[in-house]
Amino acid sequence: MAFTPKKQAFNAKINAVTLGTGDRSIVIGGENVLPFYTFDAPMENSPKIAVEIRDTGMEGETLPGMLSFYEGCTTAADMAKKAETMPGASAICLHFESADPNGANKSVEECVELAKAVADATSLPIIVMGCKNIEKDAQLFASISDALQGKNILVLSSREENYKTVGASAGLAYNQKVGAESAVDINLAKQLNVLLTQLGVPAASICMNLGSSAAGYGFEYLSSTLDRVKAAALAQNDTMLQMPIVTPVSTETWGVKEAMLPESEAPEWGPVEERGIEMEVCTASACLVGGSNVVIMRHPASIATIAKFIDSLM
Amino acid sequence: MAKFITIGERIHCISPAIREAMATRNPEPILKRAKEQLDAGATYLDVNIGPAENDGEELMKWAVKLLQENFDNVPLALDTANRKAIEAGISVYNRSKGKPIVNSADAGSRIENIDLAAANDAIVIALCSADGIAADNDERMVHCQNLLERGLSLGMESEDLWFDPLFLVIKGMQDKQMEVLEAIKMFSDMGLNSTGGLSNNSNGMPKHIRPIMDATMVAMCMMQGLTSAIVNPCDQRLMETIKSADVIKNNTLYADSYLEL
Repeated sequence: MAFTPKKQAFNAKINAVTLGTGDRSIVIGGENVLPFYTFDAPMENSPKIAVEIRDTGMEGETLPGMLSFYEGCTTAADMAKKAETMPGASAICLHFESADPNGANKSVEECVELAKAVADATSLPIIVMGCKNIEKDAQLFASISDALQGKNILVLSSREENYKTVGASAGLAYNQKVGAESAVDINLAKQLNVLLTQLGVPAASICMNLGSSAAGYGFEYLSSTLDRVKAAALAQNDTMLQMPIVTPVSTETWGVKEAMLPESEAPEWGPVEERGIEMEVCTASACLVGGSNVVIMRHPASIATIAKFIDSLM
Repeated sequence: MAKFITIGERIHCISPAIREAMATRNPEPILKRAKEQLDAGATYLDVNIGPAENDGEELMKWAVKLLQENFDNVPLALDTANRKAIEAGISVYNRSKGKPIVNSADAGSRIENIDLAAANDAIVIALCSADGIAADNDERMVHCQNLLERGLSLGMESEDLWFDPLFLVIKGMQDKQMEVLEAIKMFSDMGLNSTGGLSNNSNGMPKHIRPIMDATMVAMCMMQGLTSAIVNPCDQRLMETIKSADVIKNNTLYADSYLEL
């Protein structure tokens, strides 16, 4: 007797959320199956890759692959324009690393100008990543959301401490998409979505950032969180967990020892850049099979690999 | 496991306001009670039109359309002894939010309501009694088997038969309560869904006692594997207990605001 597989599409689905506007806008989520379970039902939208570009542009960049791809670029806006041509790139993630008051403390006004320049340079959807300082991020997200009204950007992210200000500004006043960030805490992930919706932010305007870690650095916690969230969203039809998942990968993987230790100090490990790419590829692919709808990545070589990975699994 | 399913019991012709509204086809009192129950967290609404011997078919159609049009195709349990009225209700029923529930069949004179559910791809509440209360669980389980076999032989999925142990009133049948709970466990061990008029247990008790008894009963029943109940969802203590038990059973993910969902 021939084997007839039992299809396991769910009656519930992940919310489909649109980022950006016009021809290059993207839709993330929408699936009613586990990640890449295309044998159960087609995934409505393929997972997407956002290219991380730091607000400092090419400053301090030393990796040969990055220097060569972004040749001729100086500012973040130059890089955004160039990143548009990168195969597999669907969005730009502008990372305001230097807004941190404990670091360069770049002013909100400067950041807004930069965001506007990047938005003018690219037609890709824009994700704005903060500096992890609660107060500064809240100001930053409000001002950038205001300046980029109509661009349908995603701010990454509101947290337990500032969801009210970020939700009210980015989500309600300026009609942008709001990220809800919980550091690998599944109950908090659900709670933040409840709180944001109770504030009036539509469920369809929320994306989850469930936290992130590099493979080998506590990744199993993230992995089990991703699994549990998708299971609750699909099998239990939990509407407070049906938001698509956006996972920053590069910010974690390029900061670990494997991606930083100079070859001179660890000759047996081989070239730094290759190691970093491998860390980024391993982590991103693991996030995607766990259920991330968007991975944020940095290196063109890793992005090319992951784009191919997604295509071949779709 | 799926979340516990509450069937709101408050649209019932035993209530004078509802009986009057049904007789005069006055939507307001019915819509008000429907809204209260849905706001309180009911999944299904029971529509009890009584024996409705005269105009049951027209009345059920009217009620089904009224509720589904006003509340986004809310799923309904069609509750009457008039079989033609149930069929008429199903003929206008929109199943986008869930199959209709036939309330109810038993192993006695109402066994043909299984056939009705099978012919209409509906869920049926299968009462494990014949024309009187089962004497013990041996008898209950014989009824359960008969009802199940009848449904399966007519092509139903076992998940569409929701077995009702028949909740018994504590004031009078206190010694039978553990048997009811054991029957629920037996249904659960067989992988069957279950439901019932849970608040019958507290019938005749003072008003302030009933929510306490009902909440305790539902928690004990959920421990035994009860998957649904016909209840008053406006009873806050009861609903909070159901939500908490759903968390403890891992049927739903905990969040600090879980009681508000």
